Amino acid sequence: MSNLRDVYIIGVGQTPCGKYPTKAAHVLGREASWAAIKDSGIYARDIEIGFCGHVYQGMGVGQRTLKDIGLVGQPVINVEGACGSGTLSFWEAWRTIAFGQHDVALAWGVENLSKIMSGGPLPLEEDDIEVALGMSMPGLYAMRAKRYMDEYGVSKETLAKVVVKSRLHASKNPIAQFRKETTVDAVLGDPVICDPLTRSMCCPVGDASAAAVLVSGEMLNKIKRDESRLPIKVLGCVAQSGGYASATGLTCDPSENVARTSQMAYEQAGLGPEDMDAVEIHDAFAIAELIVAEALGFAKKGEGSKLIEEGTSNFDGNIAINPSGGLLSRGHPVGATGLLQTVEIVNQLRGEATGCQVPDANIGLIETMGGAQPAMDGITCVVSILGK
Amino acid sequence: MSEDQERKILHPDFFTEDPEPRLIAGRCKVSGNWTFPPYLADPVSFQDEIEHVPLPKVGKLHSYTIVRRSLPDFPVPFGLGLIDFPEQKVRVMAQIEADDLENDLALDMDVETIVGIVRKAKDGTDIYSYKFKAIKK
Repeated sequence: MSNLRDVYIIGVGQTPCGKYPTKAAHVLGREASWAAIKDSGIYARDIEIGFCGHVYQGMGVGQRTLKDIGLVGQPVINVEGACGSGTLSFWEAWRTIAFGQHDVALAWGVENLSKIMSGGPLPLEEDDIEVALGMSMPGLYAMRAKRYMDEYGVSKETLAKVVVKSRLHASKNPIAQFRKETTVDAVLGDPVICDPLTRSMCCPVGDASAAAVLVSGEMLNKIKRDESRLPIKVLGCVAQSGGYASATGLTCDPSENVARTSQMAYEQAGLGPEDMDAVEIHDAFAIAELIVAEALGFAKKGEGSKLIEEGTSNFDGNIAINPSGGLLSRGHPVGATGLLQTVEIVNQLRGEATGCQVPDANIGLIETMGGAQPAMDGITCVVSILGK
Repeated sequence: MSEDQERKILHPDFFTEDPEPRLIAGRCKVSGNWTFPPYLADPVSFQDEIEHVPLPKVGKLHSYTIVRRSLPDFPVPFGLGLIDFPEQKVRVMAQIEADDLENDLALDMDVETIVGIVRKAKDGTDIYSYKFKAIKK
């Protein structure tokens, strides 16, 4: 679509990822939102609309969040798209500006999981027949892992190396939930959750919020803001719901959704995978990093493990994957995740990463994948491409 | 009260036990496309002329895992699998039974439809539904 308006991110904020059972979601949300507003330097009242991504936080959490920072009256939309809720709220903010309805929007994501669970798999929707029969997200990814490892000859050690790289990146990131480096032996020695996935091959339960202030290209030079802060341009932003797997053959593979969505985002941006410097992808389980990296075009099908084995996906490699530590180590506070990923890429492009800085990062990509549905390749996939 | 009436059954409309356990899929009369469970409208033809027909008893195990940590209503360990019916182009996720979960399961093996215990109700009673069992060679 050539008539879309330019959209820029002019401020970002985030809380640390961890367990804060006494902190309400709106308390986490207001911290990140206020940090984003302060980072942008705008007058808070200039925000025309807010989008709050969350999954388990109840009624009106977006409105409760903004009330505590003086923002009432403007529309606030609570957005749910499973683990893609955060980036879906970002997409909503992007599109209302891109399509000319608003000029200044706030997008944030928040989740306090430790208030509702201490550990174990995420509670899913019992009305889904597969969930009622015992499906969990680790179970689903474990089945994908088993088939993938058999088809492409990938070992458990390679899966463990995904975690080792993730912890290495997170060890330098002060907002990460897990900041201790680990080893292949330690990862493989962890208890098995669903064969072949051990505990540290699964993302942790945690809480956080992250936020971004978006403005139109027209408003960028009109609004009073902190002009020392580098605006980051949204080059592409695409949201897709899952497609039918049973209608397209015998697939049950979220990578189809990622491939479809990212292809549209690449086309929107006029760029390809070879142009990306830093990416944050949805590594909820170690196997996902390999499958998603292939779906995004960073490796051929079945060769995602080469990125790990050859160090190409390290923060200083050819294509830095999850320099924040990703979902496995920075954390996966469900509704906050997409915005945490977005904040990380904005920081990378500004040269202000809180942890591992990707050298010469000019263009970055965010991929978030939400949920599972019988016979579909996921619930929500959002891919954004940002540039400076 | 018969044994059947006493059993708590999850999704009894998705399978039959007469004369043998089989899943009930939807087949569009216009496109011939199959779905499990049956949809209201067919995703290929966008028509709603759906007939309910049983899938074959035996499918192929596309992948599986042994679940060792799950939600409280599911006693662990248990097998969970993706079962393909290639002719109908249908993939089903369901629990997999085997005498020896560690050693009896293999990718692409034949598995047969059965009815058995899949979970506990909140009051601790067993809930039955469709599942699959490894066919030993």
